[in-house]
Amino acid sequence: MRRVRALTVGLLAVVWSAPLRAQAPTGTIRGRVTDSASQQALAGATVTVGGRAALTQADGHYLLTGVPAGTDSLRVRMLGYAPAAQSVTLAGGDTLTVDLALTAQAVGLSEVVVVGYGSQTAGNITGAVKQVNSNEFNTGRIVSPEQLIVSKVAGVQVSDNNEPGGGVAIRIRGATSVNANSDPLYVIDGMPVGGGAGGGLSAGRDPLNFLNPNDIESITVLKDASAAAIYGANAANGVVLITTKSAGGGGGGRRTAVDYSSSMSSSSVTKLPQMLTTAQFQAAVAQYAPGRVASLGSANTDWLSLITRTAFGQEHNVALSSTGGSSFYRLSLGYLNQDGILRGTTADRLSLGLNYDQRLLNDNLGVRLNLKGSRANDQFTPSDVLGNAVGMAPTQPVYDPTSLTGYWDWNTTGASASNPLASLNLATDHGTTWRSLGSVQADYRLPFLEGLRANLNLGYDFTEADRERFFPGNLANQTRQGHGYLSLANNSQVNSLLEMYLNYAPPISVGPGSIDLTGGYSYAKSHAEYPFFQESNLNSNLLGDNGIPTAGTVQNLKTVVDTKLISFFGRINYNVSDRYLAAVSLRRDGSSRFGPNNAWGTFPSVSLGWRLSREPFMSGITALSDLKLRASWAKTGNQAFADYQQYATYTFSDAQTQYQFGNQFVTTIRPSAVDPNIKWEATSSYDIGLDFGFLGQRFNGSIDWYTKKTTDLIFTVPVAAGTNFSNFLTTNIGSMKNSGIELSLNARLLEGRGTGLAYTASFTVGHNTNELVSINPSRSVAQILTGGVSGGVGTTIQVLEPGQPIYSFFVCRQYYQSGKPVEGKYLSLVGDTVLTGCNNSERRAFHDPAPQWILGHSSYLTYRSFDLSFTLRAYLGGWTYNNVSSSNGAYNGLTNGGSPSNLNASVLKTSFVTPQYLSDYYVEDASFLRMDNITIGYSLTYRGQPLRLFATVQNAFTITGYSGVDPTAGLNGLDNNIYPRSRIFSGGLSARL
Amino acid sequence: MNLRTWKAPGIAAALLCVAAVGCTDPTVAPKSNTTDANVFSDPASYQAFLARIYAGLAVSGQQGAAGNPDIQGIDEGFSQYLRLYWEHQELPTDEAVIGWGDIGLPEMNLQTWSSTSTMVVAMYYRVFFQVTLANEFLRQTTAAKLDGRGNVSAPLRVQIQQYRAEARFLRALSYWHGIDLFGDIPLVTEADLVGSTPPKQSTRAAVYAYIVSELTAIKDSLPTPGAGNYGRATAPAADMLLAELYLNAGVYTGTPAYDKALTAAQAVIAGPYTLDPVYQHLFQADNNTSLEIIFAITQDGTHTQTWGGMTFLIHASCGGSMSAGAYGIDYCWGGVRLKPEAYNRFNTTADHPAGDTRNSFFYSTGQTVAVTTISDFTKGIAAPKFQNKTSGGAAGSNPTFVDADFPLFRLADAYLIYAEANVRGGGGSAAQALTYVNLLRQRAYGGTSGDITAPQLTLPFILDERGRELLWEGHRRTDLVRYGLFTGGTYLWAWKGGTQAGAATAAYLDLFPLPASELVTNPNLKQNPGY
Repeated sequence: MRRVRALTVGLLAVVWSAPLRAQAPTGTIRGRVTDSASQQALAGATVTVGGRAALTQADGHYLLTGVPAGTDSLRVRMLGYAPAAQSVTLAGGDTLTVDLALTAQAVGLSEVVVVGYGSQTAGNITGAVKQVNSNEFNTGRIVSPEQLIVSKVAGVQVSDNNEPGGGVAIRIRGATSVNANSDPLYVIDGMPVGGGAGGGLSAGRDPLNFLNPNDIESITVLKDASAAAIYGANAANGVVLITTKSAGGGGGGRRTAVDYSSSMSSSSVTKLPQMLTTAQFQAAVAQYAPGRVASLGSANTDWLSLITRTAFGQEHNVALSSTGGSSFYRLSLGYLNQDGILRGTTADRLSLGLNYDQRLLNDNLGVRLNLKGSRANDQFTPSDVLGNAVGMAPTQPVYDPTSLTGYWDWNTTGASASNPLASLNLATDHGTTWRSLGSVQADYRLPFLEGLRANLNLGYDFTEADRERFFPGNLANQTRQGHGYLSLANNSQVNSLLEMYLNYAPPISVGPGSIDLTGGYSYAKSHAEYPFFQESNLNSNLLGDNGIPTAGTVQNLKTVVDTKLISFFGRINYNVSDRYLAAVSLRRDGSSRFGPNNAWGTFPSVSLGWRLSREPFMSGITALSDLKLRASWAKTGNQAFADYQQYATYTFSDAQTQYQFGNQFVTTIRPSAVDPNIKWEATSSYDIGLDFGFLGQRFNGSIDWYTKKTTDLIFTVPVAAGTNFSNFLTTNIGSMKNSGIELSLNARLLEGRGTGLAYTASFTVGHNTNELVSINPSRSVAQILTGGVSGGVGTTIQVLEPGQPIYSFFVCRQYYQSGKPVEGKYLSLVGDTVLTGCNNSERRAFHDPAPQWILGHSSYLTYRSFDLSFTLRAYLGGWTYNNVSSSNGAYNGLTNGGSPSNLNASVLKTSFVTPQYLSDYYVEDASFLRMDNITIGYSLTYRGQPLRLFATVQNAFTITGYSGVDPTAGLNGLDNNIYPRSRIFSGGLSARL
Repeated sequence: MNLRTWKAPGIAAALLCVAAVGCTDPTVAPKSNTTDANVFSDPASYQAFLARIYAGLAVSGQQGAAGNPDIQGIDEGFSQYLRLYWEHQELPTDEAVIGWGDIGLPEMNLQTWSSTSTMVVAMYYRVFFQVTLANEFLRQTTAAKLDGRGNVSAPLRVQIQQYRAEARFLRALSYWHGIDLFGDIPLVTEADLVGSTPPKQSTRAAVYAYIVSELTAIKDSLPTPGAGNYGRATAPAADMLLAELYLNAGVYTGTPAYDKALTAAQAVIAGPYTLDPVYQHLFQADNNTSLEIIFAITQDGTHTQTWGGMTFLIHASCGGSMSAGAYGIDYCWGGVRLKPEAYNRFNTTADHPAGDTRNSFFYSTGQTVAVTTISDFTKGIAAPKFQNKTSGGAAGSNPTFVDADFPLFRLADAYLIYAEANVRGGGGSAAQALTYVNLLRQRAYGGTSGDITAPQLTLPFILDERGRELLWEGHRRTDLVRYGLFTGGTYLWAWKGGTQAGAATAAYLDLFPLPASELVTNPNLKQNPGY
């Protein structure tokens, strides 16, 4: 506590330490600012001198009054121009006229980039930061904001989820954790929304779906730890800053505009699991299960085609922007309805956004109000539909008028596939998420000290997420086991945030350069409630999910989770002539997730930049517009693990796990295994980068090399038997390494002069290697098996093993004879001996799901009124385990259980009779090249207002050797009946009214 | 810069801080969890904790039938104590075979397990999970702790003394399983604190001596037998456990103790238990009313649910053309059948005339005697011995989770121990031994037609009789080891050693290996020889 206060006081002291000036005689400076090339007036340039500042008017004129007498430097800054300065000498009571001409500078370098707790000009950033603006976003039917930046940032992997709005996971420079989260921290308009997948809570799919992608102005990815470190214990996986659109500007008379955009879409399936055809199936049954031939029907049913469809979608967005005088605002309303290609899946969102800015107190106080609210209705395909469509025999009919449900089903008490259409039409699964996020930010330029600003941010994030699932008891599978199921979850979460920071950028030099200081305090609190109700063995199906019937087994659960994160942070930027740059930041986090002995963690960072292009010795190379060398080190934390791990808790049994004492049943309590010293995972990162630009940034790019080592990795590891209350304990024990290189290149290849043809292209390349260094303190080799697969209960296919990438597949070497895998025969690890069966001792780590190379390409073309853009993506060197093939690809699926199941077509190649789950045959190269989207647009003027028509195709094509439905089976690399991929065609218009 | 310059902002910051309550204290106590700080402020927690140690034999976690598991690294249903214990005691023997290919299971049929075999690893941790829970219970209920809490009434104190004895019984029970299966294991007691350094390896003989001393010490403090204490450990249960230990003392310590086994069995027989007139009733949904069962692992379709235990045994024994409904269940899992040797033990021989009804539940329609393919349920005769139907024919309370309890100790076993101990020279009366064995046979034959004579009461006969009377009740591996037949080539049965004809196996397989993961985390341990 004392240390904390000392730190606060220290930070504030630094900020306040500049000397106050005495009252002195003043004068006035006026003048005009123009573009040096065109001689045109420049409006909106900032002119500062001796603690006074003014903006130039539309005619380029400015007026500064009350300027202290004496000699000082008059500075002018404006976006898109190189800053200029001129020495002025002013006598008390005088009025001086100073005109200045600014030289245009590449926008890329002077662009203001949002960073944590502030912003910086791109040219002076010392960390690895990439901002993607709305004009560069991916196009088409975008439901989740993360999809906007796929392939746009080097080193960022985005895992696909083919459901409309399905949870998208991002990995920045590889995964840093196994048991804590590896997702980045998302910050929306200054409000951290959590480190989980997408952040926050959802009853639907991606939690970030509450944010309408059309309301987003820019997304900034803080890739290296030095940039992210200001977010301390949440920063180890990088930070994604989302800035929403505002009306911008202000000043002048009020101007109001209404923008409308709309699009319609149609999606169709690109690939489904390859199962045996009816004829193949009949032949297989005749050969391998002759006793069951008689049970087969004479139908020819393509179950997969019956559960899929061509899906339609529509989206409408209206935004009202108004600016003028001292305020501006943007009010937006959006509606999206997108069906999925699996029948029963729909994402529906109604969203509302308001950004309101008001300038007060002579423009010294800026107040911004951000409000976002949405309601999402997500319909899901009942969980068993896809699996049953895969397994249901194609010889069987869909309907049976004599059955209880009207659908045909196998009459058996053994395990069996059941009619997927019955489930699709009789079971329900849907979620409704209400979420509102809002903040009030006040930015106050303190009048008594030039360059000092105070910022206060008060925010809230409220979510109510309800999910209901219902399976009637008369569904065939339910009649065998369960006898009906109903569950209701009504989760809610309220987060609140208080943040304040001071920023001091003294107008005078400190030593040879200028300094910019930031120091602040943050208090974040979260309260979540997870009430959950489920029952099975239902006594009635009549009310569906609208009622709660009496039932044989009823479970009620409720969990309340409160968390706190208290932080002190500070940053110093030091800049010598825009040539030598340094930034140091420090964050101290106190988290409710850390144990009592580790309540506080400290996360420092240092980064340095050297803009060689601004050195006099480089001035001869006029083609070079930018050359900057960057180097950084930082330590960041990851606290995204479960709450209350540090407490020795006792868990009550539920009503179904009591124990009999005589004639009564006693509820039991169990102590849980605990490590009271559990704390954040720490990642220490180095980054060296080079930014370069030629011909006024027409060609520019950067190269980064990084390495990061995560220590105190949280693992649930075996503990010596007898020393704790389970065989596994969650503790800080392991370490892991990620290192890689990134390259990004942007080129304005054609600039449209003369021909009217403009073409900009960008390329990103990321290469990452992951290695688990150790998982136990003795560093002796040990393995943790993980990655449970469908089919074999308890069978795991992946391994966490020191020296290997995390989640490497852990399989036996398949033995082949004349190119065909031989059932049950494997090669020994040493000596290539042919062995019978796959023993644990003969399994080895073999490839892993993470792509080695992530390549992206974006093209933007305009020709007169036409525009064309597309995004290409390639992930190379990632592998996937084809579980659909391994669990359905054996002939005993015809004899096992209560009915013959249809088989994966792979069985025709392997002829396996029993499943060979542990064969490396099923570990497939999932490298792919995909045309993510192509958009063509045509712009025209209609009644004096701009109008644009556009058409997009998403997933135009995918080139891959992977045999399953989609090579992007998710981050874990296990393909077990994943949602099939679709191709989406959409078209629409955007107009100003 | 002097102190005064930054004092004001410092104070301002402090004031802002006060506005936000607790602004520098990140601690948040859990609300939906009970912690060690408050759990014992409720006197009911003592009973609840003890009940959890019992439940450790019956369920797999704190959520029925799965959820919040006790141990990890294995599918939760597979991790259940009774299921694992049964798989270790029955699958490698001549009694049972399981057809599933789930990882860790196939090698149990064949005696080809290794130190990473999932079931073997999980069994070891199950034993120590029980031990650690019991140790913590004993630590939390010392006189000093009870005094310190100040809320323990005098009657509760008396009750807690009995609970402590039961916790020690349960610890002794699991230690018995531990030394029987794994040999030299660590001996961890309430003196070893949680989170402490890895324990030292003890010896099989030392742990044996510890179990014996514990059982002797607590025997008289345990609850009295009777319906009111059904499910709980009683003095006869302690005697029964002692009898099992003494019977196998030669295996555990090198020095047999058949005399003590006989005395302990005698003590059990002198108790209030009587043979159930209906053999089948011992394995049915209402077997809690049987007067023969001395100690059972209880299961209940409504209150005590698991995917392991009896749910597993009853569902897995059903398959092929069997009707699930006939056994009170919803659905056949099609897994476990008899190996031919167990089936053939009921064949008519000079020592075993026709008429034994203890195989009346065998199901052979569509099944073959020979197990030609392990994965095919129809290869091998099905033995739905355990059933979720009451003796009156009514179905259990829940077709998925069953009501039948697992009889860990029952009177018939005490009779057979008496007989074997007598034949092995442990004293007692040979006539009495013969009487006890014939009592079991009279029940089996519904009369004296199956009675044997004194010369027929030999050790091989007793082993066979145990195979008939106690089929699939979790005794077989221990019996075969005691007879020296579990490994080696003297007695071969189907799939022993990995071939259908049966092959000799190495003697080291009499013990299971310590888990490979345990050798990494506890460097004090030395692997059993041969692994």
